[in-house]
Amino acid sequence: MPAVLVIEDDDRIRTSLLLALEDEGYTAIGAANAEEGLSEQQRRPADTVLVDLMLPGIDGFECIRQLRRTQDVPIVVISARDDTHDIVAALEAGADDYLVKPVAVKELTARLRALRRRGRMLANDGVRTLRFGDLEIRPEAGEVRLGGQEVAVTRTEFQLLCELAEHPGQVLSRPQLLQRVWQYDVGDERLVDVHVGRLRHKIEFEPGAPRHLVTVRGLGYKLQP
Amino acid sequence: MRAPGLRARVTTGFAAGALCLSAVMAVVSYQITRQSLLAEREETAVRAAYYDAAIVRAGMSARDPDIADILSTIDTGESRRAVMQHQQIWYARNADSTGISAAVPETLQRRAGEGHSATQRIRVDGTPTMVIAIPLSAETVYYEVDSLAELDRTLRLVALVLAVVALGTALVGAALGRYAGRYVLRPLDRVERAARDISAGRTGSRLDPAAEPDLADLASSFNHMVDELSARVEKDRRFAADVSHELRSPLQTLAAAASVLDRRRDKLDERSAMAAQLVTDEVERFQRLVEDLLVLSRAQRAAERRLADVRELAVKVCRRCRVDEDRVEMQGEPAWSVDARRVEQILTNLIENAQAYGGGVTAVRLVLVDGRGRIEVDDDGPGVAADDKPAIFDRFVRGRAAHARADGRGTGLGLAIVAQHAAAHGGSATVLDRPGGGARFRVELGGCRP
Repeated sequence: MPAVLVIEDDDRIRTSLLLALEDEGYTAIGAANAEEGLSEQQRRPADTVLVDLMLPGIDGFECIRQLRRTQDVPIVVISARDDTHDIVAALEAGADDYLVKPVAVKELTARLRALRRRGRMLANDGVRTLRFGDLEIRPEAGEVRLGGQEVAVTRTEFQLLCELAEHPGQVLSRPQLLQRVWQYDVGDERLVDVHVGRLRHKIEFEPGAPRHLVTVRGLGYKLQP
Repeated sequence: MRAPGLRARVTTGFAAGALCLSAVMAVVSYQITRQSLLAEREETAVRAAYYDAAIVRAGMSARDPDIADILSTIDTGESRRAVMQHQQIWYARNADSTGISAAVPETLQRRAGEGHSATQRIRVDGTPTMVIAIPLSAETVYYEVDSLAELDRTLRLVALVLAVVALGTALVGAALGRYAGRYVLRPLDRVERAARDISAGRTGSRLDPAAEPDLADLASSFNHMVDELSARVEKDRRFAADVSHELRSPLQTLAAAASVLDRRRDKLDERSAMAAQLVTDEVERFQRLVEDLLVLSRAQRAAERRLADVRELAVKVCRRCRVDEDRVEMQGEPAWSVDARRVEQILTNLIENAQAYGGGVTAVRLVLVDGRGRIEVDDDGPGVAADDKPAIFDRFVRGRAAHARADGRGTGLGLAIVAQHAAAHGGSATVLDRPGGGARFRVELGGCRP
């Protein structure tokens, strides 16, 4: 059974989410604050972490950053805040997805399944190497190298990079990427933009003037040597 | 009738001023020119007449003079004609000139009879003429009738030229007024631009009081007003955000708890199951209502424009709403500079509206003409009653069709959101009758091409 860690300070929300997730077949573990959640994740790593942003003590953004330092576990933010500022900050801190409360349970489980599928795709055999100049991507091995040096990317970033790498030189629109990477028919295009930004910091020497992962104005993104 | 604009008034004022001034100048210069030309002409004529009179006087001193013969010896040129009255009888140089004697006015004859030489201006057959009388003796008066036709022509020409110059000056005045108006009003253009920016949602727009010292007061009052307004708007926005936040947290609990109840409905007794169903449905509706209210509270903000493929958006929404994507018709360039999230909401709300109350979507049309984008969604329903049309885009207003077929899903905010999004794009939303029945919802978006 997939395990989900729910870091949420509101007792009623946490309890109802745990009830609903257990109903859907997940092993759900609750944590009332970031410290508790972080130590829980160290002790018994869950497959997915749901985290609220407004937490007492260490806030959600910092909690995500601390988790990201050691793990590439999928992190989903569930917050009542829907300002662009918060969404972008949470994604930049390392979250894979951002949901605004109230989230229907069906919607939540659909997203969790999509995140798990993304994780499983890495577990195939046969290792190919896709080269884009000094950038090397091994989709099956889950490896990215820049100038021979291995680059650490999260699963979502890796999936995004692979999607672009599988279509070299071809422009993929934001809705297309949302569909293929996040498996969203409806979704926030800022997810794509922020992840592209994060990727650029890792695979470009000059993130402000990208050579590999370029924006095609009005159309979307493409990967080139 | 609308009062003429400031610019028109400044232009008219300048033109009228220029016309008055140049008209006065023209009249005065005409008068001075006329006086001096006439005086000069008169002097010349009188001098010539005295000269001729001297010749005639010499001729008359002979015994039994032949007056006609004497007159014919004078060189009078073309404009002057000589006439003489001797012992009450008129003499002229030739027969056709005799009529001229009739033109000599009585008053002049009387003055000449008293022994004074005199001149008088009269009109003969409409031509201005000068008559000069020089008494030669008690019974003899020499008259010279001098036509001023040439001078008259000159004066007419002068008058014409002056009138043309006056009109020209008025036109130059008008042009100057136009320029001055535009120049003076240029700072007001900046005010207008700033106001337009602000009403389009770019509330950061301010005037620089230092740019135009004369308008510094206006600029700072304007800025103050905008500050106050944006503070108020910001307060409202924060209130909406706070309310939403406070509503969203308990709603999250309700949504999760309702889903747990819903899953166990078959294990509940009939009454509990019915209650659980009601709770689940209402939580869903409540969720939509809060979502729509939030969208509406944010809809007044400026659109975050970016090039987006609206055809792709429409196809995506159609697929999600289970509408045949072949119903999407694209005319013109599909890449529009719009707020894609808002356009998606417009499409979603119009299509859901058509499905809920309009018997389904028959066409989704996207047209780009002259940088304006038009989105049309046609449905197959009964159309919108004329009475309902003006209010249908207001909040919580449902048309007759909606009341008749209300299924409790609608929040009454969908079309209000559409109208707000259209306004944020400098456009509008309207509902028309579709040719052949049904309703046609039309949304116009401005500035779709950068």
